[in-house]
Amino acid sequence: MNKNSVPVLEMRHISKQFDMTQALDDVTFSLHPGEIHALVGENGAGKSTLIKIMTGVYRPDQGEILLNGNHIQIHNSLDAQKHGIAAIYQEPMTFPDLNVAENIFISHEDRGSVVNWNKMVTDAEKILDQLGVKLNPRAQARGLTLAAQQAVEIAKAISLNVQVLIMDEPTASLSVHEVSQLFKLARSLRDKGVAVLFIGHRLEEVLEIADRVTVLRDGKLISSAHRAEVTVDTIIRDMVGRNVEEFFNKKTVEKGDLLVSVRNLGRENIFQNVNFDVHRGEILGFAGLIGSRRTDVGLALFGIEPADSGEIVFEGKSRKIGSPQEALSLGIAYATEDRRQLGLTMPMSIASNITLPTLKKYLTKLGLIRQNEEAATAEEYRKKLELRAPSVFSAVENLSGGNQQKVMLSKWLNANPKLLILDEPTRGIDIGAKVEVHHIVNELAAQGLGVILISSDLPEVLGMSDRILVMREGRQMAIFDRAEATEEKIMTAAMGQQREEVPA
Amino acid sequence: MKNLMRRFAPDQIRELVLLVLIAVILLFFNSQIENYFNARFFNRVSASVSIVGVLAIAQTLVFLTRNYDLSIGSIVGFTAFFVGQYLVAHNDMHPVLVVLMAIGMGALMGSVNGLFVAYGRIPSIIVTLGTLALYRTILVEFSNAQTILTAKLPDWIVDMPRLNIFSVGDLDFRFMVGVMLLVVIVFQLVFRYLPYGRRLYAIGSNPDAARMAGFPAQRIVFTAYILCGALSGLAGFMFLSRFGNVTVVAGQGLEISSIAAVVVGGVSNNGGSGSAIGALMGAIIIDLIENSLIRWPVISEFWRDSILGILILLAVASDTLVMSRLRNMWARSELQLTAVHAEKQDK
Repeated sequence: MNKNSVPVLEMRHISKQFDMTQALDDVTFSLHPGEIHALVGENGAGKSTLIKIMTGVYRPDQGEILLNGNHIQIHNSLDAQKHGIAAIYQEPMTFPDLNVAENIFISHEDRGSVVNWNKMVTDAEKILDQLGVKLNPRAQARGLTLAAQQAVEIAKAISLNVQVLIMDEPTASLSVHEVSQLFKLARSLRDKGVAVLFIGHRLEEVLEIADRVTVLRDGKLISSAHRAEVTVDTIIRDMVGRNVEEFFNKKTVEKGDLLVSVRNLGRENIFQNVNFDVHRGEILGFAGLIGSRRTDVGLALFGIEPADSGEIVFEGKSRKIGSPQEALSLGIAYATEDRRQLGLTMPMSIASNITLPTLKKYLTKLGLIRQNEEAATAEEYRKKLELRAPSVFSAVENLSGGNQQKVMLSKWLNANPKLLILDEPTRGIDIGAKVEVHHIVNELAAQGLGVILISSDLPEVLGMSDRILVMREGRQMAIFDRAEATEEKIMTAAMGQQREEVPA
Repeated sequence: MKNLMRRFAPDQIRELVLLVLIAVILLFFNSQIENYFNARFFNRVSASVSIVGVLAIAQTLVFLTRNYDLSIGSIVGFTAFFVGQYLVAHNDMHPVLVVLMAIGMGALMGSVNGLFVAYGRIPSIIVTLGTLALYRTILVEFSNAQTILTAKLPDWIVDMPRLNIFSVGDLDFRFMVGVMLLVVIVFQLVFRYLPYGRRLYAIGSNPDAARMAGFPAQRIVFTAYILCGALSGLAGFMFLSRFGNVTVVAGQGLEISSIAAVVVGGVSNNGGSGSAIGALMGAIIIDLIENSLIRWPVISEFWRDSILGILILLAVASDTLVMSRLRNMWARSELQLTAVHAEKQDK
């Protein structure tokens, strides 16, 4: 890489805000021709936002973008393409009903007014040969593997004279062999003078492929260094090295009886060999990156996507949990991460939402709903959880995220669970509400509930949990005790840098 | 088997099956009904197919992009009525201008659909259900409950349905059939050889990818609706010419016929696959069955109405059950061929 070369793409002082979140904060960043530049960071660090600004999906609030030293505006994907910026994603963006050659040339405006099928096929062959990819240009994209579809998209980018190729977690669904093929492609592009921006979660891959590594954290650019100057340790330090600003008022609770014991739990192709215990009064944290399948373990315990191997022992008895009804009758509740889509019925009132899973308790003999009892229950939770709403008959959609979360907690607490599974309970809610939710969860544990806390927010997991289970790609990597857990250890395990065999 | 697979793509096989189906239908009714296939029957079916065939191509345009147009019947009625009304008042209007007027009227109504679907991102089924009612209401409101009468139309338009290009024995190949065939051929070529046509398939095949691909997907959907409307306008003109007497309910139900035709003809309701020839064969099958059943006393009149519905269901079921499997089979075998090819190269 020539350090003195003019950067092909330069982002200067880019800021972008969504509602309460500062997704990008004054990020200055440049890509040089003929380099593979890796961009790393935790979930929510701002990587996707940065890419989306480059490809014209978002417009920055502030800052400027320079292409080969000239100011440009990128309004949409067509603009990005005209400027020679292309992206390939984890989910390939091919057209299944068209053949390989058509997929390569579908965006071209310069191939005449009539499709010349023979010429298109030979041109496609040329590009595929150039890349060293063996694909039949006449084959339909429908049957291609993910790796082959990515190759088609790379061929498409080449055909459009790409200057900047963004690869957004391209390796997430590929086999080892396919990854090495992809890296070969990336390197051949680099040697042709293309700037490749590589986004990846697997640090070993990042270090293998990158010429330069840039770390984002909380929307800020933390470091940008040459490959020779970084190690796994420095990258992880830069990724997590933030101050824990939130205050976790963790109560130490006497560990109660064993509540649930999970042995070798698995679901085919999703996760395998998960082992853990939860005692009454204990909070077990689940940490891991996107795709670590943490949520799927929660869904298996709640019977939405039942496990197909292993054993769940609940209160001393081995149980098969095949549906949420079975889970609820045992005393297991699951508060979903997706409040808007799955957790709450937005247009309905607070009271109706709270009593939804337990509606049977509120029916008269004729099957009518006793509305005043419903309201009384809701009123009780409104006081207990300090729910801020005009009345229990207000529609949930009018509440803030934090209050919606409290409604969801109320809903599941009203089912009198023994084990409460919380999936991202504080995502997207502001700091004040977050602290309140933490407080409620701590109270619940103190009253003897077992809690599984699934969260991408590392300080939250560290601050709240008695023990922390770390997953990566469907495998349990480690369980740390509160005393020994640190952000570095968790990130290291989540990135797959080491694997500790844990005796549950 | 391999050779066979290389020669025919799944969609070509489907067209062959449709051809066989047409033959089977003809043979079946020929054995059931005395003097079934005669010149009169041929002319009746071909006149009806001329209109439904054009509408099937119109519907195919939007179907390819994974959309629908339910307002087609209303557009046909609207143009047939108002072009007719204008023609009654201006008997000396040049025929070319009359046709252009019908096409323009349809295109305008199609553009309203396209505007909402492509740029407003409202589901097409909602938009066109709305305009189906809207266009019909405008027609009823401004028609003053009149009827266009054949007697008041100029001779050229009344005589047009009987205009003959050539005859084979008793069978006449009439001008309207020629117009319809021209439309089919033109759009078969557009779908296959113009970048515009290929992008229609791309959009229906993967709408998300189309948005990211950097070609003007919205504009393409918009123009598909305009073309769909224009063809419906042309069909409206043909409708006026064929029937002469046009009331405010003209064209009602043609949206279902057109959807049945394209679905039976193998245009996928999930977008991305189908052809103009297939749509035409779908139209032929539907008209053939309808017109044959009228002469077949075994089936009661009331059941006849459900035939379209049954055909749609059967066609969609066969599309999901058979065609998707065939396509996957083909895709896999092509990959194998590629692999063999690659191995040979390596050696």
